[in-house]
Amino acid sequence: MRARRWVAAAGTFVLVMAACTPGGDDDGDEGGDGGGDGGGELVWAIGGAEAQPGGVHQQVAELWNEQNPDNPIRIELLPEEADQQREQQALELQAEGSGFDVLGVDVIWTGEYSENGWVESLEDVRDEIEEASLPGAFESATWGGELWAAPYNTNAGFLYYRTDLVDSAPTTWDELCQTATTTAASAGIGGFIGQGAQYEGFVVNWLEYYWSAGGELYNDDQTEVLFDTEIAAEATQFMADAISEGCYAPGFNTAQEEPARNEFQQGNVVFMRNWPYVYGLVNEDTGSPANGNFNIAPLPTFEGEGTISALGGFNNAVSAFSDNTDAAIDFVVWAATDPEPQTMLATEASVPPTLQSVYDELDDPVMALLGEILPDAKPRPPAPQWNEISVEMQRALHPAVNGQADIEQAVETVRTFLEGTIE
Amino acid sequence: MTEMRTAPTGDARADRGPARTRRKGLSERALARLFIAPSLLVMALVALFPVIYAIVLSLYSYTRRQRTGFGGLDNYVDALTDGRFWSATQFTFTFTVTSVAAEFLIGLGFALLMNQTFRGRGITRAAILIPWVIPTVIAAQMWFFMFNVTPGFINNIFGLGDFSWLGQPGWATFAIVFADVWKTAPFVALLLLAGLQTIPSEMTESGLVDGANAFQRLWYITLPLLRPAILVALLFRTVDALRVYDLVAVMTGGAFDTESLSVLVQQYVVRTPNPGYGSALSTITFILILAVGMVFVRMLGRDIVVGRGAER
Repeated sequence: MRARRWVAAAGTFVLVMAACTPGGDDDGDEGGDGGGDGGGELVWAIGGAEAQPGGVHQQVAELWNEQNPDNPIRIELLPEEADQQREQQALELQAEGSGFDVLGVDVIWTGEYSENGWVESLEDVRDEIEEASLPGAFESATWGGELWAAPYNTNAGFLYYRTDLVDSAPTTWDELCQTATTTAASAGIGGFIGQGAQYEGFVVNWLEYYWSAGGELYNDDQTEVLFDTEIAAEATQFMADAISEGCYAPGFNTAQEEPARNEFQQGNVVFMRNWPYVYGLVNEDTGSPANGNFNIAPLPTFEGEGTISALGGFNNAVSAFSDNTDAAIDFVVWAATDPEPQTMLATEASVPPTLQSVYDELDDPVMALLGEILPDAKPRPPAPQWNEISVEMQRALHPAVNGQADIEQAVETVRTFLEGTIE
Repeated sequence: MTEMRTAPTGDARADRGPARTRRKGLSERALARLFIAPSLLVMALVALFPVIYAIVLSLYSYTRRQRTGFGGLDNYVDALTDGRFWSATQFTFTFTVTSVAAEFLIGLGFALLMNQTFRGRGITRAAILIPWVIPTVIAAQMWFFMFNVTPGFINNIFGLGDFSWLGQPGWATFAIVFADVWKTAPFVALLLLAGLQTIPSEMTESGLVDGANAFQRLWYITLPLLRPAILVALLFRTVDALRVYDLVAVMTGGAFDTESLSVLVQQYVVRTPNPGYGSALSTITFILILAVGMVFVRMLGRDIVVGRGAER
């Protein structure tokens, strides 16, 4: 029966073809994202609370769309947590996918992204951007002397405190803990909360203690390790004591930004370390016990002089695999240098803009305090290996802070790892 | 295949078909192979290729994403001498043993309950299955909120104050196991219920006539007959539990001695990428899970795997 053999062969062929089609479909989708939909739609991969519907990033996108109907931009909402945002972007970029045109890049990812060839160099528009942006934010967008992203928003840690429970903001960490412990006990709430879960935010919090005690990680051009184990042990010991003595609220060691904000907003803590975005949210929440009863201050230090904060924020980079590079570059330059979106960040969401001129024109407490502390804010090294360093610091220091591991040994582990990154 | 042979018997012309095919064209066996070939090919592409590719990758050394040369078994030596690997292994096995044991006992209870005839049985069955229908990450996030100090639902209900379930070793493991049991006990119940329904009611009835009490009927009649279903349920759950990722990632992020092997693998594949080391870790994990799976398959016996078990 020859016919039967043909049927078998045809059947096999159809099955094999069917198995191959999903791949073909995928390609079609990718093309659609990049250039389809009747024009050059851009996709902006950014995460966090402000990227959600109604958030300020959405408003910035809408503003752009009004002015540029030919190249509208759409936000691809990434997770809230920075580590997970980076993973989402990495999955797309590692596969050289053109699904994202503009990337919201955390200040610490610049080195890694440029090393991997994931982002377009912005050297052609460098002067324009450098002139307009805050120096710290601009630096965080460069690696190896080249500009890889356009600054978008910067960030620094604030000390939030309850004015109905505390007279004035403490200037040293010890003072903070004393006040926190006594006030918390009399008010029946928690003392201080920050970002103490095992993730990047923990490293940021730890570094603020370490830096404010005079410690450094590297020298300026990152050729030498300046990690001081004595200062590191001191900072770690302070945090460990703060947990065991009840200065830190019980949820500290599982809290990220949002749980910390919830605690403060619900009136469950006296003090909080958090980013400026919280200010607007608590101010709008008239049902919150903290509403109208809180103020912001620079973070304390160990000596009581000056302040130090880890520099945060997001820059907008252009994906190297974008199908719409020119429009994407136009967008990131616009978002960095145009007063309209930059002012919007400050007025709509207390997200600190990177455009210098905005700070001169706005007169609100958040921007005033930022103007005061941003010059002293320290960037984490934006090196390609920062994520490895951060994970190692989390793994060594988080158990030590929680009394599960020896502090001396933990800081020694960190020093050894840092030395291993220099070759 | 039985179908193919019996179907044409009524028709005289078709009856000659198979005989002629055997002489001239492809034999039925060859034809069967031919028909299976595409699916085998697809399976090889999507399942076998990645496994082999991971093994190949694990033999190279990398600096972050850049390949720096052939490393032989270096990645494996590094992994097996790393304390972190062993603590992840320890957590993974602790998690597996405790969660599967609890899921089995609770699942068996549910299955026996659902197998009875009583008023509202349909509603009970549906209600028991609800946790299983909820996606794991959502269940994990939910249990995070339940256990965590803020908002602290469990602490509120039981008046435990600010007990930090997720913020200390031991209790963090307990919380993760608890969430897993809540989520997957219904799945075990479902598998066991299917097994229970293949047991003819005459068996237990005759036991009843012979004067066996409820416990004896369960121990000497139901459980031995349920053995294949139990083994299948345990196999599924054990292999699944050994790969636990989402619960840990959402509830603790691996803090407080709750880092599982999959979380560790994910770190080296995605968070701080080192494809060589990550592949070595995932290959080791694969071998561990395969070995445990093989033990179960052997216990199940070849006949059941081939598919005759259902007829017993």
